[in-house]
Parts: sequence; structure tokens; C-alpha cells
Amino acid sequence: MLEDPLLLARLQFALTAGTHYMFVALTLGLAPFILFGQLRATLARDEARMRAVRFWGGLYLVNYGMGILSGLVMELQLATNWAGLNDMFGYAFSAPLAVETMAAFFVESTFLGLWIFGWDRMGRWSHLACFLVVTATAYASAYWVLVANGFLKNPVGFEIRDGEAVLTDSGALLTNPSTLLAFGHATTGALLLGGLVVAAVSAYHLARGHDPDGMFRRGITSGLTVTAAAVMPVVAFGGTQYALFGNEPPTSGRSLSATEIARVEEDYGGGAAHAVGEVGHVLMTLCWTAIAGVAAAGLVLWLVNRLHRWRWFHWMLVFSPFLPYIASLGGWAFRETGRQPWTVTHHLTTADAMTEMSPAMAVLSFSLFTVAFAVLAAVTYWLLVRFARRGPEGGPLAPRPEEPDSDPQLPVHRF
Amino acid sequence: MEIAAVVLLAGLVVGYFVLAGCDIGLGMLLPHLARTPGERRRLVSAVAPYFLGTEVWLVGAVGVVAGLFPALKHEVIVAQWPVFVAILAGWLWRDAGLWLRPRADNTVWRGTWDVAITAGSWTLALGWGLVVGGLLSGGRPLSPFALACAVTVVALFALRGAAFGAERLVPADRPEPAATAGGNAAESADVAAGATRHLARGAAMALLFTALTAAFSTGAPEGRPVAAAAVAAGLALVLGVTSGLWGPRLSRHTSALAMAAPPVAVALAVELPVVAAPQGTLTLVGYALAPLVPVMILGQVWLYRMLRQPAASSGFFA
Repeated sequence: MLEDPLLLARLQFALTAGTHYMFVALTLGLAPFILFGQLRATLARDEARMRAVRFWGGLYLVNYGMGILSGLVMELQLATNWAGLNDMFGYAFSAPLAVETMAAFFVESTFLGLWIFGWDRMGRWSHLACFLVVTATAYASAYWVLVANGFLKNPVGFEIRDGEAVLTDSGALLTNPSTLLAFGHATTGALLLGGLVVAAVSAYHLARGHDPDGMFRRGITSGLTVTAAAVMPVVAFGGTQYALFGNEPPTSGRSLSATEIARVEEDYGGGAAHAVGEVGHVLMTLCWTAIAGVAAAGLVLWLVNRLHRWRWFHWMLVFSPFLPYIASLGGWAFRETGRQPWTVTHHLTTADAMTEMSPAMAVLSFSLFTVAFAVLAAVTYWLLVRFARRGPEGGPLAPRPEEPDSDPQLPVHRF
Repeated sequence: MEIAAVVLLAGLVVGYFVLAGCDIGLGMLLPHLARTPGERRRLVSAVAPYFLGTEVWLVGAVGVVAGLFPALKHEVIVAQWPVFVAILAGWLWRDAGLWLRPRADNTVWRGTWDVAITAGSWTLALGWGLVVGGLLSGGRPLSPFALACAVTVVALFALRGAAFGAERLVPADRPEPAATAGGNAAESADVAAGATRHLARGAAMALLFTALTAAFSTGAPEGRPVAAAAVAAGLALVLGVTSGLWGPRLSRHTSALAMAAPPVAVALAVELPVVAAPQGTLTLVGYALAPLVPVMILGQVWLYRMLRQPAASSGFFA
């Protein structure tokens, strides 16, 4: 395995993208809760609601840090390890990524900095506007990344000139069905995750009888409501994509002839990647069913007015966020392995897309970043659980009481 | 449209060097400037909200290179693969340190992330130095000239960090001068201000050494040596001004000019394969970006205006 740079590079990218996706999905899922929470708190000038926003916002930020880190590594990895993809499809595949970095990430990160720094320092409406920009750009970011990803799956809107793809139809690129359906699927999936995380954290505190300002009663209700609302759209967007399976991309045959394409697909055994994709598919379906069950149970309990009281249901909810995480990763593995052996369907194989590098370079790059990611992801999840359990009093955004610090006060003598 | 793409890329890279120079340089000087736990906390909270707004310039630059100048990417990033992997690793650990350090309150945890922040900052500065050196020397990153360039760039990053620290490390709740008679509350800021002069002198020496290696050894700049010499002369002037008695006071502006010198030198002196993207790509990116440029500018200006105040001693990053 260590002798094969291609396998290492693929595994490295899969681990990077998978890690990135886990954190980004929670970012996308939590952002609307914080936005609407802050909107209501701002409208009503409600300090109690604002304390809840600080709590969820703290969790959002801890999670966001790792999302940025893995995103940076992923972007640079595309540049360092997958040069073949950019040599051929730089002008078509990388253009939406360029827009994503500039228009979405640039704005998102700047305004998130303002939001973090603006607590207690900014007017309440300006502060809310900052988070509105953060939420909007987070979703715009997801769209542009999926424009690039959808292009790999279903390449459209370009011509091959001198071995390079030249974009001829931006409209087709932006309205690629593979992009739009994936965007709908990924964002509703992220809302499932966000809803269940909010419900689970709220349930943990309700089960222990801890509910300052009623924030966790509101949390469990709104979390389950969003989950229940997203559970059918996510399967609708996902299911529609099955109809696209096996369709040849409209640009098929522009860089490789039909016989060459057939030969590449015959030579590809499938093997481990195919098995991983199938396992992912099954896990995704099972977890979705379980989520639908949890959401239905929650709705029934809500109707009979037992949602805030029945602890057995609270403890069940506490462990429910595993389900959307597994479903997201499984679904993502299913999508990405389904495209193999191609990086760009019917145009560029994964082997040709990789930078030529020696096995030593591949091993170095792989071990360096895999170890770093394992450590950082573990630390981030440990912190998330720790802050979620601590509750609003100990969150990272909680207003800190004035502490004496390391500068000792001069002793006051009383006579 | 093509010239707009080139200006966009050059602006992003210069913006990254000038703005991120502040937080990278301050991270490099962390062990020197901040010794007590309170000082370290203040230093990290001085760097931390700022880095969110500065590293995006680099992310944007990489995006623009990948999307609009794939040939340039091949020449710069793929050709210097090991350096970019090191930069990426340094970046990762440094950011992780800034995010995670304030999350728990014990000596080992904070000490670990202090090491990550400092080592990551040094790795970034040295990595960018090697990239600049490699580009200026025409692809010989280990020649004496390229290494001298790298040392100069590292010194410039440190200078920029010290100039930034002199402003941001002043305590927000500064007590009356009389109350601090026993100890200096703004000690970190004073040390940083004092360091600007020494760092400017060090950078000037490194620049002189670079000029000597350019004149007397192999690996001297190819392309347009006159342009490189002109930028070096401008840099020498700026460093000379900063070395003087007024150095600490002027350093805020002079260090910014000095940080702009390396990317400007590369842009002017090296023949880079800048082939603009075809019309379709330029149009797509242009139309998608144009409406957001005012928002980007608003966010950046707003962030820097808010951060002009001294760093707070509490908050998410403290």
C-alpha cells in the first residue's frame, strides 16, 4: 500500500474531504438556529434569549475552527497533489472554486471575525447583520463547492481546445443538475444534523433538570421541528439523483473516444473503493430510517405534550447525532466512489489527475496531515462535548466575570 | 478583464503579506514579547480575531491562481511542492493553536499551543522566504542568494510583527501612570516597540548580504535584475528610516511598505507565465465577484477599524 502513491493520495484526499465535510455540515446546520435565535433576541431585546445565542454560538465557533483548518488543507491539497486535474480542467473546474474562496470564504471569515469581536462592542442590529452575512456566505460557499464537485460528476458547458477545457456555457455549469440536487441534498442533510445536535444537547440538559431561562425546552422543540421538516426533503433530493445514474455526461467523447472510455471502465475492477461506497449507501439508508423514526417519535411526544418530560426519550436523543454524521459520511463516500475510476467522468482518470510524486513524498504528505487531522478532530470533538455538557455558564462566548488575573491587586490596609 | 485578473492576484498577494505579516510576525515573537501568562493571553487575543481577516487573502490568492492562472500554479506551487507542504503544515498548526489555546485553562494545554503558534509562525515566515527566494533565483531555492532572500523575508515578518505588537499589546484598561509605578503594564508593547529598530537593522544587514550574494555568486536573480535592484533599494531606504530614532513611531507604516517589497520584487523581476484565462472563465468569475467586492471591502475595513483598539483581555480568543 505504501508503494502506491495514487492510493495514498486518494486516501489522503478522502480523509481530508471527509473530515472537512463533518465539520462543515454542522456549521451549515447550526447557523440558521443561531441566526433566528439572534433575530428573535434582537427584536425582543431579550437578554435571556441572547444568552442562549451565546451558548450555541460558542459551539458553532469551536466547530468552525476545525472546518476552516480542514478546508485550507483541502484547497492546498487540490493544488499540490492533483495537478493533472488543474492542468486539464483548471479553467472550468477551478473557476467556481476561485469564486468560492473569494466571494464566499473571504467574506464569511471576515464577518465571522467581526461577529466574534462584536459581542458587547457593536450595535445589536450591526451584530445581527454580521451573522446574517456569515450564514448567507456559508450556504453560498456550499453552492460553489458543489458547482465544482457536480462538474466532476457530470461535466458540462465546455469544449476541449489543445487538451485544455475551455468554459463555453457558464449557465450550464451553474445549473448542472448534479450540482443543484447535491446542494439541496447536502444542505437539508446539514439541517438534519444541526437539528439533531441542538435537540441532543437540549435533551441532555433537560434530562438532568437543567434549563436556564427555558432555553433547552425551546432548543429541543426547534431542533426536532427542523429535523422533522428536513427529513423528507433530504430523501427527495437524494432520491432524484438516482435518476441521473448511468447517464452519460453531455460532453462525453470530447476528450476520449467511446472505445477508450469503455477500456478504462473495463480495466477498473472496482475493488475496495466500490465496497466502501456500497457500505456507505447501506449505512446512509439505515441511519436515515432511524432519524425519521426519532423525528416521528418526537412529534408524537410533542403532540401529547410529553416532549419536555420523558427522560427515556431525552437519553435516546442524546446519542442521536451519531446517525446524521454516519449518514452524511456514508452518502458522501457513496457519491465519490461512484465516480471512480474517473476524476472527471469520461474525460480524466484519477490516475492521470494526480501530481507525479515519488512514494516518499506521498508517504510524507499523507502521514503528516493524517496524524494532524486525527489529533485536531479528536480535540475538537472533545471540546464540543465538553462545552455542550457545561451549558451556557461555561461556554466560550459566555460573558466572563471580571477576574483578578495575574496582576495582583495592591493590598488594601484597613486600620 | 485580463489586466483586472492580474491586478486582483497581485493585490491579494501583497495584501496577504502586508496584513498577515502582522499576526505571523507577532506569533514569531510570542516567546520574546510575552513572558507571564497574562501577557501571553493578551498577545494571543491580539493576534486571534485579526488572523481570520488576513489569511483569507491567501485563500483568495490560491483560488485565483487555481481558477484563472493554472500555468502559474504549475510553475510556482507544484515546482516548490515540499516548501508548500511545509507552509501548509505550519499554517494548520498555527491556526489550531490560535483556535484551541483559549479553550482550556491549564499550563500544559496553553504551553503546547503556544509552541504550535510560535513554531507555525516561524514555519510560515521561513516558507514564504524560501518561495520568494526560489522564484527570484529562477528555481534554485537552495542557492546562497535564495537562502539570503529567505532570511531577509523572515526578518521582515518579525519587524512587521513587532510594529503591530507595539500598537496592539497596550492593555485596553490601562491604569493611570501613577498606579503602574511598581510594574509596567504595557511592557510587552514597549519591548515590541524597542525591537522594531533592532529588527529593522537586522533586516537591512540581511538585505545587504542578499545583494552581495546576488553580485558575487551563482543563483543571482534572472529575469529583470534592474527591477529587483530598484525594489531592494526602496526596501533599504524604508529599513534605514525604521532603524533610526523615529523607528518605533514610523514602524507602523514603514513595516507595511517593507512587507510589500518581496511580492512586488517577484512580480516585477521574475518572468512568470501569466497567461490570463479564456473569456468564458473570466466572465463567470467577474460577474460572480463584482457584486461582492463592496461587501469584501466593507468587512475588511470594518474589521481593521474595530481592531485598531488595543486587544481586549477577555473574549472568545483570550
